[in-house]
Amino acid sequence: MTVLSRSVATAPPARPRRRARWRPALTGGLALLAALVVFVIPFLFIALQAVKTRREASRLDFAWPTEWQAWENLVEVVQERDYMLLLAYLNSTIITVGSVTLLVIFASMVGYVLQRRRSRVNGVVMGAVLAGLMIPPAVVPTIWVLQALGLFKTIHGMILIEVAYNLSFSVLLYRAFIATIPRELDEAAIIDGAKPLQVFFKVVLPLLWPVTVTNIVVQSIGIFNDFTNPLYYLPGRENVTVQLTLFNFQSQFSSQMNLLFMNVLLVTIPPLVVFVFFNRQIVAGMTAGAVKG
Amino acid sequence: MAEVQLRAVRKSFGAVEVIKGVDLRVPSGDFCVFVGPSGCGKSTLLRMIAGLEEVTDGQVLIGGRDVTDAEPSRRGIAMVFQNYALYPHMTVAQNIGFGLSLAKRPKAEIEDRVRHAADILQLSHLLDRKPKALSGGQRQRVAIGRAIVRDPKVFLFDEPLSNLDASLRAEMRLELAELHGRLDATMIYVTHDQVEAMTMADRIVVLNGGRIEQTGAPMDLYRHPATPFVAGFLGSPRMNLYEGEAARAMGARVYGIRPEHVLLSPERGRWHGRVRHVERLGADAIIHLDVPQLGDLVARAAGETTLAPGSEVWASPQDGTEHRFPA
Ligand SMILES: Nc1ncnc2c1ncn2[C@@H]1O[C@H](COP(=O)(O)OP(=O)(O)OP(=O)(O)O)[C@@H](O)[C@H]1O
Ligand SMILES: [Mg+2]
Repeated sequence: MTVLSRSVATAPPARPRRRARWRPALTGGLALLAALVVFVIPFLFIALQAVKTRREASRLDFAWPTEWQAWENLVEVVQERDYMLLLAYLNSTIITVGSVTLLVIFASMVGYVLQRRRSRVNGVVMGAVLAGLMIPPAVVPTIWVLQALGLFKTIHGMILIEVAYNLSFSVLLYRAFIATIPRELDEAAIIDGAKPLQVFFKVVLPLLWPVTVTNIVVQSIGIFNDFTNPLYYLPGRENVTVQLTLFNFQSQFSSQMNLLFMNVLLVTIPPLVVFVFFNRQIVAGMTAGAVKG
Repeated sequence: MAEVQLRAVRKSFGAVEVIKGVDLRVPSGDFCVFVGPSGCGKSTLLRMIAGLEEVTDGQVLIGGRDVTDAEPSRRGIAMVFQNYALYPHMTVAQNIGFGLSLAKRPKAEIEDRVRHAADILQLSHLLDRKPKALSGGQRQRVAIGRAIVRDPKVFLFDEPLSNLDASLRAEMRLELAELHGRLDATMIYVTHDQVEAMTMADRIVVLNGGRIEQTGAPMDLYRHPATPFVAGFLGSPRMNLYEGEAARAMGARVYGIRPEHVLLSPERGRWHGRVRHVERLGADAIIHLDVPQLGDLVARAAGETTLAPGSEVWASPQDGTEHRFPA
């Protein structure tokens, strides 16, 4: 009786259930395929051209290289124009480290005050933060200001530009995260006798680690890979940054695709490594915030 | 040990007045409980004593000193929060000693005092753990330890037990009462649980809508509630309260009788009614009656009562236990 009724009950939905089982596999497969086309194939293409000879690379196809030139290309790219790539690495690193450090310090403090303090000024500041996110920067007036301040064509001027352009995003990240930290924690510290700066540095800041990692990684990659801003605000041979070294191999009359792509590869790898390494923590900082006492 | 005094204290958030003029004296060494319904301003009042909320008008005095504008840390108070508010990145020992280390006390002294507080609260074996690895009751003990170590004149508690389960709450209630006896400090305790209020308090302050409704010892409030609100708030099951025609017949604007003061009899009494429902709690039973003259009437009877839904019964008030509230 029970066997009969069970088989009767399960027989009809058998077909829909089978479809339900292969459907996720299909959609997942399609998504993977799309990701392959969008992300992996271009990367393989770059890697492939980077190891070819100049002549083979200029054809820009997927043909397997007949002659492997990876090491020669690498050496040539690095030595190009009196080791310009190494200088570029140095400059980019200084800019990235400097601006990310300032971003973390300022954004966490601004985010904290914005989230915690009840004040009329907050609305204005919040408006400014959102404006910084939405209004595109005007290049020429910015250059005027930089020139007036004597910061144009200087590394520290560039650092300040990167801080200004990216501060809004970081502030919003911090503010959202701080909202998940119970206010009572601050109050307990105040009762324990902490001064405002102590409340921030001893109690709140240590809890911001996940979102700080997110900020460091996201902003480092963005600033390290920045192409346009150094192009506008940091002209000059001695000021070159990594993305701008790509110009070395592309001119009107000749182009060395193998070297160009080797350069692309060298410039892309550090951020990629950082991203792969910190991937889990980035997501954690974006989503989590459960710091229940 | 210090007396806490509030003088005509008011608090507004923007245009909304939340505390509408509170005068209160909590004598030195008292265990004073603020009770009242949700949103009546208990926490706000406590936070004003702590200095976490600015006083809009009036004065706060602790130990005779006007602290209305003093920093929280300069008031000689310690506070325990409902959600514990432990610093998640510090160990139990660091949590308890945080205030002392901010005050730059010598390491040995901090260690000593932390150990002493931990001994009182049986936390000694947990000193190296982070709050994440503690149970709710242990977290609450750490929060209390953080208060004890500051050696405050006044302890402030904001619903410290409401996140604990019932049996643990009963246990902590006892522990807090013992702690009070041992430390001999003034304690102000906020709760909306009238059992906590009745069992722990030397003095209960009943708040309603930002005003003090009545102040007094628990049994005084139980016996002589000044208003129908207090009468209905303290005691479980709550007092039977009647307005309108039924009350007027009894010579009052509001008439009240507690369930434990209703005598039931099969033959005679003041009101005749029918049993609608019986809740058996073991030691006693709560009888819900339909009484035509009054409406619903709740009575407390012995646990072994033979009354069953549908039985007819007479009810009458015990002598001298009726409450008649004038207009
Ligand atoms: N920061 C604030 N801004 C505006 N209104 C507030 C603020 N804090 C509290 N209130 C209001 O003040 C009133 C009293 O709040 P309070 O927290 O003191 O209530 P409570 O008696 O502690 O209630 P509960 O038992 O729910 O904790 C409430 O109506 C609340 O909405
Ligand atoms: Mg409250």
